Amino acid sequence: MIPEAWPWLAAGVLLLLVIWLGWTLVRLRRLAARVDRAWATLDAQLQRRAGLAEELARQHPAALGSGARARLAAGAAGARAARDAGDRELAENALGHELRELPPDLPGVPAALRTDLAGTQTRVALARRFYNDAVRDTRELRGRRSCRWAGLHRRRPLPRYFDIDDRLGDLGAGVDVAGRRAS
Amino acid sequence: MRIGLVCPYRWDVPGGVQYHVRDLAGTLRGMGHHVEVLTPAQHEESVTDPHLTFAGRTVPVPYNGSMASAQFGPVSAARVRRWLREGRFDVVHVHEPSSPSVSLLVCMIARGPIVATFHTATTRSKVLAVLGPMVRPWMERIAGRIAVSDFARRVQVEHLGGDAVIIPNGVHVGFFAAGPTLAGRPRGDGPPTIGFVGRFDEPRKGLPVLLQAMRSVVRAHPDARLLIAGRGDADQLWSMVGDDLRPHVTLLGEVSEADKAALLRSVDVYCAPNLLGESFGVILIEAMAAGAPVVASDLDAFVRVLDDGAAGVVVRRDDPVALGRALSDLLADPGRRADLAARGSRVAARYDWQVIARRILAVYETVLPPGGGVVTAGPEHDFPGVPPTGTAAGRPRIRRPRR
Repeated sequence: MIPEAWPWLAAGVLLLLVIWLGWTLVRLRRLAARVDRAWATLDAQLQRRAGLAEELARQHPAALGSGARARLAAGAAGARAARDAGDRELAENALGHELRELPPDLPGVPAALRTDLAGTQTRVALARRFYNDAVRDTRELRGRRSCRWAGLHRRRPLPRYFDIDDRLGDLGAGVDVAGRRAS
Repeated sequence: MRIGLVCPYRWDVPGGVQYHVRDLAGTLRGMGHHVEVLTPAQHEESVTDPHLTFAGRTVPVPYNGSMASAQFGPVSAARVRRWLREGRFDVVHVHEPSSPSVSLLVCMIARGPIVATFHTATTRSKVLAVLGPMVRPWMERIAGRIAVSDFARRVQVEHLGGDAVIIPNGVHVGFFAAGPTLAGRPRGDGPPTIGFVGRFDEPRKGLPVLLQAMRSVVRAHPDARLLIAGRGDADQLWSMVGDDLRPHVTLLGEVSEADKAALLRSVDVYCAPNLLGESFGVILIEAMAAGAPVVASDLDAFVRVLDDGAAGVVVRRDDPVALGRALSDLLADPGRRADLAARGSRVAARYDWQVIARRILAVYETVLPPGGGVVTAGPEHDFPGVPPTGTAAGRPRIRRPRR
């Protein structure tokens, strides 16, 4: 090869490298924004769920019975407290468990509150799935060797999955439960 | 809410995805939302609805065993960009974005919340295995993923490395539940009838098994009849039926949606003897909505739709003896038929478009940014003018298919 070609070749490789770095950075930034947005939604829905559980425990003690009312109130308070410190997944799981244990008809509770609660539980499940999706995509890209070697987003903490038992299967009309068994 | 739906397949060609988009758009509009659809078509003239936007013609490419509509280039990109800017959508909902189609183009260009529905249910796909890593950078923009069945979700997990919420296909339950029956054949009045809908010359639809079973049914119920609706070669069918069954079989040929509903409302039992390859089984839901008790083979998708066999009779696939026995027993037992019909209607109600559309709306609401905002098109220079040919970041993961 003629010696003059080497600088050009090096420049070409360098250019490709820079383009790739830029493109990967764009992807990483986009994913980070997606994780943030998904978390904001999930956080909002979880808070909403805790708020509705509190309201239910405070205003409709007759429908719950004293034992369930106290447990529900404790669950909601625990979920609120864990937002700032503590194991949030554990606290949200406890609250979710209490909410699932409630009798399905809840006599005397206005329909609006019941629909609101059911809708919020569905949205918690959806938001959690979408958040974990975003986390998975981010971790996949950041886990790549090329990405690690280039040290892209090295200083940022890896986003964590948020795992609670929200029975998304109920949402899928039994379809999803079967899916987990099959896959 | 302002919603933009994107259908990747040609609007004027019949297909499951097209029907899904059409019905979803109609249902959401009925709920008071503003819905626009962007779709390619074979002929621009056939896109007449004011809420439809023509995305251009497509180049058919083989994809997943059928022909997908590939669509790329600056003209299509400009159309997409204009549609996004003029639509000012709160959310854009693309269908089947992993093929090189207008859906993928929208994923590349749109800025804002994107929801995607995956319909493909092929578990082994070379095309997807190759394309998956290539389209990944744009799949990352999708904020919420929906799969129509567990199989479609598995494709997601295996080939595209994502997860998805399962929201099944919808059915207009009311359309099937009430209406006229086939002329002169009200249900339960007259000879017992069994219904079959589908391409009858495709062996995987299982008609030969049903015909075999029919011989034993006719022994128990000498006046039993089989109604067949669907496309196929009639001569081939009659030679398959044979002289002994000929008086018991009626071929209706290809029927309209309304006639199909009438058929399902007329029959005493609906039979789905499929041998393989159904990912969902919309026809079973339609039959249940029409109040027909269902006898189906034990495909995973069918068992699931039939509530693990509680809402219909499940028979081992490719077993004419068992199928014949199940059909005969059911025809002899009106009480059980009524019971199955009642359970079936309850199951079908879960798949009504009103219910399904609400669940899809919940997905939209979940991906909306808290402060609101609309979907826009990205800057002009951002769009790669050629079909994506892989990205550097994806390179190490791409495995070439071995021939």
